[in-house]
Amino acid sequence: MNRTTESYIEIINLSKSFGSHKVLDNINLTVNRGEVVAIIGPSGSGKSTLLRCLNFLTRSESGEIKFQNRSWSLNSEGKRYKGKKYEKSLSELRSEVGMVFQNFNVFPHKTAVQNVELGLIKVRKMTKNSAREIAIKKLEQVGLGDKINQYPDKLSGGQKQRVAIARALALEPRVMLFDEVTSSLDPELVGGILEEIRRLANTGITMLVVTHEMGFAFQVAHRIVFMDSGKIVEVGTPDEIRNSQEPRTRAFLSAIL
Amino acid sequence: MMSNSNYKFDWNVIEKYWPEILKGLIITIQISLAGMAFSILLGICLANGKLSNNLLIVRISSSITELFRSIPLFVLLFWIYYGFSLKFNFALTEFEAGVLALGITGGAYMAEVFRAGLLAVPIGQLEAAYAIGLSKMQSSMFIIFPQAIRIIIPPMVNIYIGLLKGATIVSVIGVSDMIYVARYVSLETFAPFELYSLVGIIFISLTLSISGFVYLLERKLGRSKVDG
Repeated sequence: MNRTTESYIEIINLSKSFGSHKVLDNINLTVNRGEVVAIIGPSGSGKSTLLRCLNFLTRSESGEIKFQNRSWSLNSEGKRYKGKKYEKSLSELRSEVGMVFQNFNVFPHKTAVQNVELGLIKVRKMTKNSAREIAIKKLEQVGLGDKINQYPDKLSGGQKQRVAIARALALEPRVMLFDEVTSSLDPELVGGILEEIRRLANTGITMLVVTHEMGFAFQVAHRIVFMDSGKIVEVGTPDEIRNSQEPRTRAFLSAIL
Repeated sequence: MMSNSNYKFDWNVIEKYWPEILKGLIITIQISLAGMAFSILLGICLANGKLSNNLLIVRISSSITELFRSIPLFVLLFWIYYGFSLKFNFALTEFEAGVLALGITGGAYMAEVFRAGLLAVPIGQLEAAYAIGLSKMQSSMFIIFPQAIRIIIPPMVNIYIGLLKGATIVSVIGVSDMIYVARYVSLETFAPFELYSLVGIIFISLTLSISGFVYLLERKLGRSKVDG
């Protein structure tokens, strides 16, 4: 694991409301390059929203997100970016930040390999042949070498999620976001996907993982973020969180473990 | 007016005049296809308007849809064909007026079909498209639209069949479509029943063929359902 202390992602005073409901309340978090951070907490605590803010699928209304010291929220004069040009530039960021969703969101009208090569062709502007070559390699990596020409409706939930992981990895992202990726899976398929993420964690890629799989989170993550009611309650190493004296953390962990 | 008892069926008329009817058929198909193309364009515009974030645009698009949908095709055709030339001194050909009238009526129906189709694609598909860095345009083109089209095709064909039959109305402004030819020929031959029946049978076979084609198309496209 080539974890560094170089701050890679900085989340500064991030807040987000849906109507009068504050989903994210002044979030501050720094993630180092190569670090695996698990975000845990009860449902509705804002974990997924925080993750989605990082690739701007959800827009925060105040605060700032920086990748490698470059702000993607505020311009040099401290004003919030907006407009068409900014929207376009987000696609550059998003192709560097892979995301895997709870509901897989594989493209049902495309085969496994077409799902994976699409970003390479349209975003990375690769030729069809070299894109396909990479796509096949990525599918083989996630154990779907024999399914490359299948449409998603012929795949199990676990296989769909592997396609989704391969699709994100194909772009060689510098950060991976996992949003409760095992929550829609049948129990017997969960282990395989977690194994996939664990393997990825060992490659040194920076990852943020929102999960309800506590055993997994404590095993794989370098640091654990515990969120409740839109706030970060506590951040610490797995050991620190496990032995936390913070009453809310204790209550959550004792209820779930 | 002839009474039923005196009417003598003369099916030879068809043998003699079917090439004329066929020419009329080609006009009918041309006008309905051109009208459909116009409907699709108008429908996409109106549907996008209805799905806009701007409330004003939503209101305008919805009102236009409602208005266009409520004008009878016959009246619309009259307004366009005669109204335009009277008011603006700008003459459309009969064919153009027909296409425009069909396009406006069809467009209003298509708007609703497109809107429903686009909304039926789960939001997660758009998010996944954005997440790999696709632009808004690319996401619509490669992800949303190909999935929506599967939902859109059956009702779209319904609208087309409506337009195909609606296209017969252009005979009133003198376009020599099938109905026009049938009426014209029956004035000479006194065999309207045979000629209109032929027209009817042609329409039935056209409609059935289209339905059959769509059935096959749906089966072919049906392999990938709309869900992630």
